[in-house]
Amino acid sequence: MTGPGSDLHDAPAPRRPLRPLARILRARDRGENPDLIERANRAERHDHIRDRARRRAEGRLLVLGLFFVAAFGTVAVRMGTLASSDPAEPVLSAGGASITSARADIVDRNGRLLATNVVTSALYAHPHEMVDIPHAVRELARVFPGRSEADLTALLTSGRKFVWIERTLSPEQVQAVHDIGDPGLLFAAREMRVYPNGPLAAHILGGVRYGREGVQAAEILGVAGIEKAFDDRLSDPAMLADPLRLSIDLTVQTTMREVLEGGMKLFAAKGASGVMMDAHTGEIVAMVSLPDFDPNHRPAPLTSGDQADSPLFNRAVQGVYELGSVFKIFPVAQALDEGLITPDTIIDTQSPMRVGRHRISDYRNYGPELTATRVIVKSSNVGTARLARELGSEKQREFLGRLGFLEPTSVELVEAPGAKPLLPRNWGEIESMTISYGHGLSSSPLHLAAGYASLLNGGTKVAPTLQRRDGRSLGPRVVSERTSAQARAMLRSVVTEGTASFGDVAGYEVGGKTGTADKPAPNGRYYDDRVLATFAGVFPASDPEYVFVVTFDEGHEIVNGEPRRTAGWTTVPVTAELIRRTAPLLGVRPAIEPVVQSGLREARNGR
Amino acid sequence: MSYLEYAVKTVPRGPRKVLYLNWPLILLLTAIACVGFMMLYSVAGGSFRPWVEPQAKRFVLGLAVMFTVAMIPIRIWRNLSALGYVVSLILLVWVELFGVVGMGAQRWIDLGFMRLQPSELMKITLVMMLAAYYDWLDLGKTSRPVWVTIPVIMILVPVALVLKQPDLGTAILLLAGGGFVVFLAGVHWAYFATVTAMGAGLVSAVLRSRGTEWQLLKDYQYRRIDTFLDPASDPLGAGYHITQSKIALGSGGFTGRGFMQGTQSRLNFLPEKHTDFIFTTLAEEFGFVGGMSLLALYLLVIFFCIAAALTLKDRFSQLLILGVAGTFFLFFAVNMAMVMGLAPVVGVPLPLVSYGGSAMLVLMAAFGLVQSAHVHKPRS
Repeated sequence: MTGPGSDLHDAPAPRRPLRPLARILRARDRGENPDLIERANRAERHDHIRDRARRRAEGRLLVLGLFFVAAFGTVAVRMGTLASSDPAEPVLSAGGASITSARADIVDRNGRLLATNVVTSALYAHPHEMVDIPHAVRELARVFPGRSEADLTALLTSGRKFVWIERTLSPEQVQAVHDIGDPGLLFAAREMRVYPNGPLAAHILGGVRYGREGVQAAEILGVAGIEKAFDDRLSDPAMLADPLRLSIDLTVQTTMREVLEGGMKLFAAKGASGVMMDAHTGEIVAMVSLPDFDPNHRPAPLTSGDQADSPLFNRAVQGVYELGSVFKIFPVAQALDEGLITPDTIIDTQSPMRVGRHRISDYRNYGPELTATRVIVKSSNVGTARLARELGSEKQREFLGRLGFLEPTSVELVEAPGAKPLLPRNWGEIESMTISYGHGLSSSPLHLAAGYASLLNGGTKVAPTLQRRDGRSLGPRVVSERTSAQARAMLRSVVTEGTASFGDVAGYEVGGKTGTADKPAPNGRYYDDRVLATFAGVFPASDPEYVFVVTFDEGHEIVNGEPRRTAGWTTVPVTAELIRRTAPLLGVRPAIEPVVQSGLREARNGR
Repeated sequence: MSYLEYAVKTVPRGPRKVLYLNWPLILLLTAIACVGFMMLYSVAGGSFRPWVEPQAKRFVLGLAVMFTVAMIPIRIWRNLSALGYVVSLILLVWVELFGVVGMGAQRWIDLGFMRLQPSELMKITLVMMLAAYYDWLDLGKTSRPVWVTIPVIMILVPVALVLKQPDLGTAILLLAGGGFVVFLAGVHWAYFATVTAMGAGLVSAVLRSRGTEWQLLKDYQYRRIDTFLDPASDPLGAGYHITQSKIALGSGGFTGRGFMQGTQSRLNFLPEKHTDFIFTTLAEEFGFVGGMSLLALYLLVIFFCIAAALTLKDRFSQLLILGVAGTFFLFFAVNMAMVMGLAPVVGVPLPLVSYGGSAMLVLMAAFGLVQSAHVHKPRS
């Protein structure tokens, strides 16, 4: 094939004419056939092209050969690497690893478990690896009564290679699925949030849901309450071993829930709430809202109607109500603090009282005048309205602001910032007078508890909290210690001789104020047969330790054949029962009450 | 390679042809097939059923096909190339319209006695067609755009049809196998450089566009790329094959666990263990040494093909043999890369070892063509 001389031509030869005229003429002269010249030239050119193609083909083959060798080498090296590697199961890495299902426990103030993670399994299937789908479907429908055979069949024959069947399985269910014995049914490790106390503290804890889901783990996300508020803290890998310690006391919480539930039944009430708070630190030791729910099976939010009727609604924190006469202690305490009055100052309580077009009257006519203490004891609207007028709306607003009534509470629940108190649009004289007896300003029971605590603990502001605090730290002063003591004495009198006489618990010096607020109707007026009955107070009154607020929604008690709706008949006796049971749990010792004599009390306070 | 030369030099005739067969190549192919029988026997748990028996029968049939093809003069095959290519194309269209759907793709035509997979047939007829084309084409025109476009179309039409089935593995094999022939025929470098650059540009555009509003692929397709790049990210999904086969290779170590001692493959951890992933069984039972031995056998096959091609002066025969060798190389290179996690799982069998009929018959027929070229070489 290789033509002679082809090796000499490395570069493409210049194209030569096939019939060079000079040579042909010369050949003709010599009598030769000029076609032979052309043929020779043509053959030479042909050889030339062919040689070039051949050299090129050989070059190409060399390149390809090198490529083959490189490919073989890569495969060989790879095989060597793999052969010398450890045959370990791969550990889930990259995208999957960021899914962490771990979550710190939540415990009460004494370390008792409120929420924890339990290892469980989720069930998924590789339908293409299943042996007998109809059989598996029948068995699965038996193991999971909530699933119909039709659904499961549709799921497993959908053509997908991976389907989730159940999110969380009990150990018995895991065994039952194992027993089906189908290789295409597989388990995924899961952690499950468990609230071992069921509905106890449900509103505080909130609940969780699954977030991003992988085969090895599923993210657990808080949806409400503490779980959501502390989502980052609870799922922080560095703090997993460190349970989140709340301020609540499991025993007190249990007792409160039990007592309120009983009261709710007794009074056929629509709902109830209770807050028990350390008067000095603001730690909430118990907080209940009824009706409640089981956070292990958190119900769906209502799709219609008032969310406030949902069991998910936390009445103590989210509920914003006109709380009524429980507010009366505030104008009186402010007047005491301002030096306007003493507990014995006589106040004009002529009812009804006319202010412009408005008329303020008392529940009953208590006569033309009462001492300041008696205004509280008898719960005189007229008396507090007069004090409010003396103080003026500006000062009232400033005072209530100091007690925290103008802002949402700072408690560590995601629901708290949404519970903004409802303030009058125009805070004038008449508004300040109605606010003085608890109408025209709506706030949550938790606001009230914090306000009472700040006023009654000696006069320093507390912020409600659900986290356990170690030691006391005094907040800014709200009222003088003297005012605080006088206010407590007044509240104590309410129990000993006033509207809350059923609230006395021997040895615990309960002091408190009742409030029976007519509920506002949608038409802007008030219902005359639906009330929110509140009892708020402190114990022991002489050495305050705990503040409580208990409310019943639309409850009533039948006494002598007629319905009684006032707090004195409903909330107060229940609260007394609550204190009777919880005070020992809280470590408050029953004491012999000091003789009520103002001079002695002053001495005790060192003045 | 003028036809004159055939006449001048002698070409073996009649039964004497058998003496001129490339016997070392036949021995090599038989050895590789025997490795396959061994592995299938092991995978079946020490039984000739269900895989070894039919595979052996097919290999014998394949040998018969090879001999038959080898006895027919290469010139005749050259003249049949265009016909074979067109028939393959028609069958591909046919399978698209009336084919049997298997394993999620339309691939087969049921002929009653066997299932015909036109895409397998196409692998060999495409190489034949291209070799014949360049044999026919004037050497000087090889790199002219018009004459480059024609073979490109010849390659892309079947590739498109196969992609539509969808069978990515075969499409890659067709594309690369055709590319080999065009490359060896001496088409100018610039064309290949351009195609490579465009390919690289496309890949980078695809990767760069992720997450932007002009994203070129669907999200799930990106996830597959992710899985290929890091199989551990989805060990139970698409990364399963690769992860498990890597474990098998690791468990084999240097000398392997011994014949029939593999755990990974025996315990059904591996899907497709008798077809595309059969190499993992070998690697686990015979280790690195076993794997390298098989690799050496394949390397020798290709070496013998190249050697045979170099002794030939006939352009068609040369290109055909190198094309067959290239296709054979691609088969096992892609398969190995896939098994070892160097390439995505695309579904390419290990040639002559994996269980499966069409691929083996087509490969044996292809080697029949190699033999035919070898036998009918003009000898002086």
